[in-house]
Amino acid sequence: MTQVNVLIQTGYGLNCDIETAHAFTLAGASPTRVHINSLVEGSVRLASYQILVFGGGFSWGDDHGAGVIHAVRLGTHIGEQLLEFVDKGNLIIGICNGFQTLVNLGLLPGFDRDYRKRSVALTYNDCGNFRDQWVSLKADADSPCVFTQGMDTFELPVRHGEGKFYADPAIISRLEENHQVALRYCLPDGAPANGAFPHNPNGSIRDIAGICDPTGRIFGLMPHPEAYHHFTNHPDWTQIQEINRRKGIMTDPGVTPGIRLLENAVRFIQTR
Amino acid sequence: MPHRLEITLKPGLFDAEGQGIRSKTLNYFGICLDDVRTIQVITIDAELTPDQLTRIQTEIFTNPVTQISAVTPLSLDFDWTIWVGFRPGVRDNAGSTAVEAVEDILGIRLKSGEAIYTSKRYCILAKNLSKLQVDTIAGELLANDIIEQWRIYSRADWHPETGIGMMIPKVRLDHSPAVATIPIDSDSGLEAISRSRNLALNPNDIPIIRRYFFDPAVRRDRNEKGLCDPTDIELEYLSQARSDHCNHNTFRGLFRYRNLDTGEHVTVNNLFKTCIEAPTLSLKAQKPWVISVLWDNAGAARFDDDHYYVITGETHNSPSNMEAYGGAITGIVGVYRDPLGTGKGARLIMGSYGFCVGHRDYSGKLKPRLHPRRLLDGIVEGVRDGGNKSGIPTTFGQTFFHPGYMGKCLVFVTALGIMPATINGQPAENKKTSAGDLVIMCGGRVGKDGIHGVTASSEVFSEHTPAGHVQIGDPYTQKKMHDFLLEARDQGMIAFITDNGGGGLSSSIGESAQFSNGCAIQLEKVPLKYAGLDQWEIWISESQERMTLAVKPEHLDAFMLLSRKHAVESTVIGEYTDTGKLHITYNGNTCAWIDLNLLSSGFPQWEFDADWQSPETRGMFEPVLNEPGNYRHLLCDMLSRPNLCSKEWITRQYDHEVQGSSVIKPLVGKDRDVNSDASVIRPVLTSGRGIVFTQALLPLYSQIDAYAMTTCTIDEAVRRLISVGGDLDQIGGVDNFCWPNIQYHPVNNPDGRLKAAQLVRSCLALKEICLAYAIPLLSGKDSMYVDGHLAGRYGETHKVSALETLQFSASTLISDITRCITLYPKATGDRVYVLGATRNELGGSEYYDHFGYVGLNVPQVFPEEFLPLYRALSTAIESRLVASCHGIYSGGLAVHLALTAMAGNLGITVDLSELPIESPLRDDQALFSESAGRFIVTVSNDQARAFDTLMAGLPIACIGKTTEEDGHLEIRKGSDPPLLSISIAELKTAWKKPFGALI
Repeated sequence: MTQVNVLIQTGYGLNCDIETAHAFTLAGASPTRVHINSLVEGSVRLASYQILVFGGGFSWGDDHGAGVIHAVRLGTHIGEQLLEFVDKGNLIIGICNGFQTLVNLGLLPGFDRDYRKRSVALTYNDCGNFRDQWVSLKADADSPCVFTQGMDTFELPVRHGEGKFYADPAIISRLEENHQVALRYCLPDGAPANGAFPHNPNGSIRDIAGICDPTGRIFGLMPHPEAYHHFTNHPDWTQIQEINRRKGIMTDPGVTPGIRLLENAVRFIQTR
Repeated sequence: MPHRLEITLKPGLFDAEGQGIRSKTLNYFGICLDDVRTIQVITIDAELTPDQLTRIQTEIFTNPVTQISAVTPLSLDFDWTIWVGFRPGVRDNAGSTAVEAVEDILGIRLKSGEAIYTSKRYCILAKNLSKLQVDTIAGELLANDIIEQWRIYSRADWHPETGIGMMIPKVRLDHSPAVATIPIDSDSGLEAISRSRNLALNPNDIPIIRRYFFDPAVRRDRNEKGLCDPTDIELEYLSQARSDHCNHNTFRGLFRYRNLDTGEHVTVNNLFKTCIEAPTLSLKAQKPWVISVLWDNAGAARFDDDHYYVITGETHNSPSNMEAYGGAITGIVGVYRDPLGTGKGARLIMGSYGFCVGHRDYSGKLKPRLHPRRLLDGIVEGVRDGGNKSGIPTTFGQTFFHPGYMGKCLVFVTALGIMPATINGQPAENKKTSAGDLVIMCGGRVGKDGIHGVTASSEVFSEHTPAGHVQIGDPYTQKKMHDFLLEARDQGMIAFITDNGGGGLSSSIGESAQFSNGCAIQLEKVPLKYAGLDQWEIWISESQERMTLAVKPEHLDAFMLLSRKHAVESTVIGEYTDTGKLHITYNGNTCAWIDLNLLSSGFPQWEFDADWQSPETRGMFEPVLNEPGNYRHLLCDMLSRPNLCSKEWITRQYDHEVQGSSVIKPLVGKDRDVNSDASVIRPVLTSGRGIVFTQALLPLYSQIDAYAMTTCTIDEAVRRLISVGGDLDQIGGVDNFCWPNIQYHPVNNPDGRLKAAQLVRSCLALKEICLAYAIPLLSGKDSMYVDGHLAGRYGETHKVSALETLQFSASTLISDITRCITLYPKATGDRVYVLGATRNELGGSEYYDHFGYVGLNVPQVFPEEFLPLYRALSTAIESRLVASCHGIYSGGLAVHLALTAMAGNLGITVDLSELPIESPLRDDQALFSESAGRFIVTVSNDQARAFDTLMAGLPIACIGKTTEEDGHLEIRKGSDPPLLSISIAELKTAWKKPFGALI
């Protein structure tokens, strides 16, 4: 089987790198945590990797808009290398702070293969505060998104203060027509959240939780798949386990939706 | 020429911050605003070309999708506009990151003295708003005059072209640094200097200091270095080292304890040694999992064969009381440096908080510096940003309201880290400095901030307390340093590491130099934020986000290379020696030459008179209170009490699952909204082991007896841990004492002797209960001056003292996280048990407090009786016999049955006549007594027999069962009509009423 090399960026206030590496290991990949400056200086080249991760955290403290300075630094120093990486058909995932960086780099939404244009934004939650909660999510079955293939309704945690997806109505329409809205906040039964708080935790337009580029190979989402790598991460696991015990069922410590989402990416690389 | 950018959201976009201000203005001051829009102001005090300015404006500071910006004032409509910016020298985190971004994108370096400053302008639309009202909004909501300045403009005052002008809060110190020599001709003279320079030298220490500097041998030695009388830097060093904050003089003091009722006299020499150190060392000898205690920045315990976890707890009360946000963020970020500076360094894995403040809706006549509501908002946000931006999960916390904290609030912050058991084959928990090691300062730069913080926190807060010690923590800078230092640690480069907290370099170097027995520091090498600091200021500044390290010369190049990769500033500022001296030079001139062993030679012990009178002698009694009839209404009102009601709005602001380690979250239950007894994390993701953590705090009991307060607090912490499955045999504790001043003074502190006796009793209780439960104290701290003087209506001031408070944090392990349980019932028809006897113990209870009583019968802890029950329960949980478990704490049985029912969203029916009791109780006593040692447990019918067998002979009883979803809590006694029947929905409404609308 092909070894899938995953580069997870670290440094400058990013966090989540350890659990993201752990989750990719569970998904069958070989992750490496690499400092942003190693990329900028060129001691590490993207060419050795097939999946690039912009992970969660507070790069540069989120001080001038979440993800903005990270995007500026990468765009300034390794912008061309990033585009080459995309051109080669590799995968990029941006999680939370990483999603914010991808939209500021212009890698998303990537209309007409223009990967430098900023046309969508993630702005302050309508509730006015940082919020940690689990959300129900629904994947668009018709989306080209590599990461959400075969996934329907599942739960993940969100933890952010700037996760409200915003863009002009024309942009939103285009995203929807292209099925680039790979992931939406929904009610626990899978029905649309229609903006209802706290199911839609931040006031995102059209309940948008994650989008991909038109190829489906670049994906950004606010929820944290890497934080649901084990069944004990789920808020209801003690309940589920107790009910299973009474039915004589062992609680399956198998693949969580968070890992499944990453496995989709690993399998894509292995079979391309 | 400076430039100013104004940035705002595009018209029509929802301004969440503005709306938040609008709703607070309405809720706090009753002022209705039509609209508030916020403008970010970036003032760039640097030479830039127009092209450069445009580039940073468009690429960094303006989001093309959501924002508009201009280099001239934006023309937003307003009736009033308020500009708020930092005062000079206050840490501007966003200003610093702006510099990084600008330098990066433009490929330039700002010149010395150039900087970028951030501030805000608020545009308010409201008809008929008076200047006075705008002043209130500015001064009591938007800005704090200690760290911020503001300006108010009406529409008519506003010049559309000038706007706010160029506001540049640059520090200008027209001062040439100089070392002063302090004459020590007389004790009184030195005392006067101590007062005027805010040295806070203890009068009893002054003769010792003078004797040292008059010693002929010392004088001869000093003359060779060109010194004679002490320098200011030397006295500052002694002042820091001898402060109560650093030296714990109170806990190491001599207490003459007298029981005035019995005439019995006891002398307790050194509370720390007798009540904390001695029991912990004896337990350490029995428990091989205790790795390192009582000397380092945090204590260490074994997690598994390959890892140790470390834990410590701190408070940051005085600064938070002055500037809530800044104080709290500095506190949490500061305590996170302790694990990082423990052994050779630990990675941070968890944090927690404890807040004690006045009532949020206080409307009395006293005027605290910050209203408790504003204070709480600020500390909640400070701990939020400090924790979240550090990437450390905040998995537990508690908030307690009482008017006693209006004088000074309490902000407890606790931190846990993990480290490999060995680093390059060396024990990770050990570290030392050796002669020849380089002294390296790493992280932030030094400014005037935080000067005299330590000595200020060792004093009662007054209106004259210098404000300079208020700072704003910078989690971003610290996170970079954290990542860097762990990489340096793993490469074996760190010989010694400690943090710069209270006392700055003076404490960190002074203490670390004790290992090698000397150091030589070149103070001019310390990187400064701005010029003009005196040498003594550099030496004791408490500027944040700094660590002090010892690095061997052969590792220096690799260390500095790694430091640059992580964009962290590290500077060699001297070396460790074995001369026995603290030697400081500035540009080659000696400004301190002092024997390191001076501190351990003959400074007098502090002494206290501690007079105890029993609560009965002090006139306390049980209230004459007849049994209530309307239990339904009563229970709802109990659930709405501030200390019992839902505070979900705080918990949800804290990231409690970053690092992917979450097992038991702070909020659990069907609707994920009830506070868990404890939290569980799995810090090593490839392991099935977990760390169980909890905290308890019961200051109301101190009104009767701090002995009972202490035993009950620790008992509660133990029950919380075992309720989720924690191991009873691996519990470690962290004691954080916060006490009002205990030094008797006939006028200023007339009840000082009683407060001192309460401290002695609390410490004795700590010792006894820790030995009984076999809990070594892995770490602890004290903060001794929780008093304040508040202005009243007529210009008079009132001293307000906090209740004697102990926050106890406890941690233990669970070897298999899948055996964790939670507090909520899982199925209809399960049996509901109460474990442990309920007694007539309502003294200090929430129930009595609800009616304005204190009472007398404070709960007691009986370890010999409780422990067999705890052990049996632990076995039952480990054997998976228990479906849910919840301790019974403040508020008593009725409140905790309600919480259990709400958490499971399942009805519960119980019969009080089955309740385990010692002697007959009235129904209200049974329902609201706060007896220790109790739990509510649910067990499925198929496990009931095994459970009953395991618990045979213990004071437990099945008192009822769980009923249907969305059901009722029904409490009856025998066949009488129910005392109470109320739907879960109604219970929840009452429980969420006070703070449910907050987000």
